[in-house]
Amino acid sequence: MSWLKRTSVLVPIDFSDLSYQALEPAKEHVEDISALKLIHVLSPLHPADPAAMWDTVSDEDRKQKVRAFTRNKLNEMGYGDIHIEVVIGDTTSKIVDYAQEIDAGLIVISSHGRKGVGHFLMGSVAEQIVRLSHCPVLVLK
Amino acid sequence: MKKPLFRLKHYLYGLGFLLIFLPQVAFAQDEAASPGFLGSIEAGVQSVVDVLNLLFYFKVGGENGMPFIVLWLVIGAIFFTFRLKFINIRAFKHAIDVVRGKYDSEEDEGDVSHFQALAAALSGTVGIGNIAGVAIAIRLGGPGAAFWMTMAGFLGMSSKFAECTLGQKYRVIKPDGTVGGGPMYYLSRGLSAMGMAPVGKALATIFAVFCAIGSLGIGNMFQANQAFAAVSNVLPFLSNLSWLFGIVLALIVGLVILGGIERIGAVAGVLVPFMAVIYALACFWVMLVKLPEVPTAIGTIISTAFSPEAVSGGAIGALIIGFQRAAFSNEAGLGSAAIAHSAAKTDEPVREGIVALLEPFIDTMFICNLTAIVIVLTGVYADPTAADLNGAQLSAASFETVIGWFPYVIAVAGFLFALSTMISWSYYGQQSWAFLFGDRTTNIYKGIFLFCVFVGSVVNLGPVLDFSDIMALAMSLPNLLGCFLMSGLIARELASYMDRLKSGEMLPEPHVAQETVVRR
Repeated sequence: MSWLKRTSVLVPIDFSDLSYQALEPAKEHVEDISALKLIHVLSPLHPADPAAMWDTVSDEDRKQKVRAFTRNKLNEMGYGDIHIEVVIGDTTSKIVDYAQEIDAGLIVISSHGRKGVGHFLMGSVAEQIVRLSHCPVLVLK
Repeated sequence: MKKPLFRLKHYLYGLGFLLIFLPQVAFAQDEAASPGFLGSIEAGVQSVVDVLNLLFYFKVGGENGMPFIVLWLVIGAIFFTFRLKFINIRAFKHAIDVVRGKYDSEEDEGDVSHFQALAAALSGTVGIGNIAGVAIAIRLGGPGAAFWMTMAGFLGMSSKFAECTLGQKYRVIKPDGTVGGGPMYYLSRGLSAMGMAPVGKALATIFAVFCAIGSLGIGNMFQANQAFAAVSNVLPFLSNLSWLFGIVLALIVGLVILGGIERIGAVAGVLVPFMAVIYALACFWVMLVKLPEVPTAIGTIISTAFSPEAVSGGAIGALIIGFQRAAFSNEAGLGSAAIAHSAAKTDEPVREGIVALLEPFIDTMFICNLTAIVIVLTGVYADPTAADLNGAQLSAASFETVIGWFPYVIAVAGFLFALSTMISWSYYGQQSWAFLFGDRTTNIYKGIFLFCVFVGSVVNLGPVLDFSDIMALAMSLPNLLGCFLMSGLIARELASYMDRLKSGEMLPEPHVAQETVVRR
């Protein structure tokens, strides 16, 4: 069945347990784990955040720390060498842009399943990705 | 290429909100029969205020009694001053040592130094309230209100210590290394550590709701309103163009908080301390010119603080107004400053709390008092021909009697103070919003915030002040309740810190180095 396997599969992570659950099904779509790519999108610091006001924390520092944090978590979960991409900006558009950039064959994402006010306000990243992505998207429920 | 597009999208969000909200406010108020569009906005604000008044502002002790929410703040400040054995006096010198960097350690977790955290918090507290708020207090409560403001600043140092210590203790370090802190965190995490998780969660949520809404008053509409008053005072042609001022101001704030043009924020950040120094110097100059009358002015402030007939609100009118305006100015008891202070680099929560107690001192006991003395000294407040002047315009008129061109400085200083305070409060409000609805939807909050900048500029002072007051003071309900519940913990932490400080265990690094040099 190796002709069904993809050369690169993207998994967006928001540090929730739910988001890590997407790793297992994603693994089944690749031949080697190195074809898996993770992405986390940070929001920009508010200009009045003391760290931004005094310019004591650079974007590079923040990305570096997130990479180290995710690397630890992945090691704990028994996943070895997975590339971790960290970017700053708008969640949906950054994920879709990166998928295009690495020519991902599939995006695997967990849906948080919000209802009511939460859904109205936040919508769903998964929904937006389905709409904007150029590649197939697997939404786990 | 993508970045400009991303920013453009943000602007469009803002514009979209204006388009959605403007007509709704107009239609909703059609039946109020107020003159024109601006009048209808004002009627809308007024009806919100009426409801809030019923909820929080009922008077304890009859017609001339104390509004419940002010009483709550006074009790909180007095309680912590006694419970923590006059921490506001005994830690004062240590606070200055810490701010000077004697105890800074690069290895501790956090984002900024003690000094930087204090400065960031001050840019939120030192607002146009320091110029206009004092004038409002004297107009409503007589010169004696200034005495009670000072008193409130003094006692407020203790509640500020309590909340900022908790803010440090229960902050979270996020995966990207930045700090999340403030009442939302210490109410939920602190109380759940004491086995009161549901209470903590509820108080944290209530606080976040009040702070997200309150930031639109104290840190937004009030600032915009008085900035317009100060600017139109020297540029009279603007006085009928409040809508234009509102749009321009909303645009500038929008560029900073939506467009990420941090330059403007940084420029305001540099100019604000500079303007504060100029302002203080001007106050001293006025005092110098009228030196022989200074003792009389101070005497007036003190004697009217205790004379019932001086004020419309009865025997405790001056006290109520003084405490209310002081809390409004230095935020002690509201919990907001704990959000900024939790970013300080330290492993000793008490240490940042001690730094924070300088805030009410600088803001209220120093800057507000200077304004008060100038207003009383020049006597403009008592002049019947100036009876319709209030807020920033009363302060400007007072300075004008001694320094003719000073209203221009007040216009510039007031504008910058207001700008930096609005930017800081949009951060507090955004953190609260993010606590409730997550990080991704903060653009909705920013849109509402910008709309309120516009509303604040076009509406009269009365309803804006009422709304801002009530929402800001309401924040103290969940915040101080949580602090009361955790006061035992705060007292224990403080006692342990003070023991270690006295035993010399925490001797600041440079001192150790100096001593070894001396011994050799």
